[in-house]
Parts: sequence; C-alpha cells; structure tokens
Amino acid sequence: MTRQDFIANVEREQEALRGFLLALCCGNKDEADDLAQDALVKAYLSSAGYQEKGRFRSWLFKIAHSTFLNHKASCRTTESLDEARTLVSSTSADASFAHQDLYLALRTLPPKERSAITLFYLNGYSIKEIATITDTSEDAVKKQLSRGRDQLKEKLKL
Amino acid sequence: MNKDKALEDLFLAQQPHFDDNDAFMASLQKRLDAVEYIKQHQEAAIRHYKLTMVLAFVVGLISGGVAMAYVLFMPASVPLFTFRVQTGFFGWLAENSRLIVVTALSLLMSFGLISIVKNVLEIVHMRRRLV
Repeated sequence: MTRQDFIANVEREQEALRGFLLALCCGNKDEADDLAQDALVKAYLSSAGYQEKGRFRSWLFKIAHSTFLNHKASCRTTESLDEARTLVSSTSADASFAHQDLYLALRTLPPKERSAITLFYLNGYSIKEIATITDTSEDAVKKQLSRGRDQLKEKLKL
Repeated sequence: MNKDKALEDLFLAQQPHFDDNDAFMASLQKRLDAVEYIKQHQEAAIRHYKLTMVLAFVVGLISGGVAMAYVLFMPASVPLFTFRVQTGFFGWLAENSRLIVVTALSLLMSFGLISIVKNVLEIVHMRRRLV
C-alpha cells in the first residue's frame, strides 16, 4: 500500500477510529488522539504487509486496540492519579460534555470489557469480528459483553 | 447475543463528531514525514554498512591471498622466522614456520569471512524489518 492509498483510507476511517479510542479513553480527547496517531504510525509501518483487502477499518481497530492496551499497561501505576485529575476536570468544566455519564460509567469497566462493549454498541461489530480484533475467543467476548452490559446498566440506571 | 436496546440507543445518540479532522490529518502527515525521514536514514546507514562489508570482504580476500602466495613462494630452505635458541620446541617452530604461518593466515581469513557473512545476514534481516 502506498502512502497516498494509506492516507486516503485513513481520511475515510479516522472519525470512527478516534471515536472508538475516545470511548476507550473515557472522553479524554488528547489521550485518545495521541493513541490514534501512534496507532496510525504503527499501521503505516506495517502497511506493506497489509493483506486484508476491504477490511481496513477492522485492521486499524485491531492495531488501535493493542496500542490502547499497551498504553494502559505502561501507565498503570499513574492511572489512579490521572483518573482523579480527569474526574475533577470533567466535573468542573464539562457542562457541554454531553457524553459525560456514559464515559464515567465506561471508566469503571476493565479495558478489555470496555473495548468489547465499545466495539459492539458504538461501532456495530459482531461478536466474531470483535474476537478477531481483540485476539480473543468468541466465548470470552460474550462474557466480557455480558459483564460489561450489566455493569453499565447498573451505573447508568437503565 | 442480542443487543441491549437502551444501551445501543445511548451509544448511538452519543456518537462523537470531530471538527478538527484537518488538524488531525496534518499532524499525522507530519509524523509520517518524520517516520519516512528516519526510514531513509536507516536505509542509507544499512547501504553504507553493506558497502563497508563488501569492501572488507574483498580487501581481506586479496590481502590474505597475497600474504599466502608470498609465504608459499618463499624458498623452502629459508625459514620465515627463527629463534636465538635452536633446540627443542623452538627448533620445531622454525622448521615448520611456513606451515604455521599459512595455517594462522587461513584461520584468520576463515574467521573474517564468517564474521562478514554474519554481518551481511544481519543487514538483510534489518532490511526486512524496515520494509
């Protein structure tokens, strides 16, 4: 894939990718955009071996998901501090932050459940596709979705 | 597994929209430019390294061959090196000096060739990782 092709595909898919990462980062736009850029650079570097014709979005999401998990693993020690800071900023300045409740509820989910829920409800992927993107079995995805859904419904009082 | 309607509606209603797509793409283009620059720099370094290896291979082969030819064309009666003490082990060394020097040169050339081949294989591996 040439750079032009890559850019053309990214231009088409970037909103979906950023939306996915924004949900995973629970509304932290700067963090989500940084992760999106990192994921896109990784995708560009491995785009020579890209074979999955017509499934560019899934391929991008797969890279973005692993980038997100690596990021979470690398900053686990400072996470609670960052979360506290984000919570303070979101409660003080986000009157216009329409997705606040959903993001606060998503924050309570472990990263893998958060990914499964986001891919299923926000991006409309099937369980099989989610299993491919997240490199897990379909049974594991079903469990993550079930646990995540129950937890979200409880938090959001749905 | 069926979708929970309430959750699905909530997610769909809160689909984020971005108004800075152009800035995002411009930032990505900058990063890709930096990546391209580093890739080109690495490729140039690999090319340079490869050329150095080929040069070392050729120079080593020629100088080793010349040294061997020099040793082998020396008169057999004249030892290549002698010692003040001519008895025992030193005497044996002086007697077999041609054989010892040729063996040492062959070993040196073999080690040189092996390390150059190893380096060339490493370069090929690095190039594969870059592509």
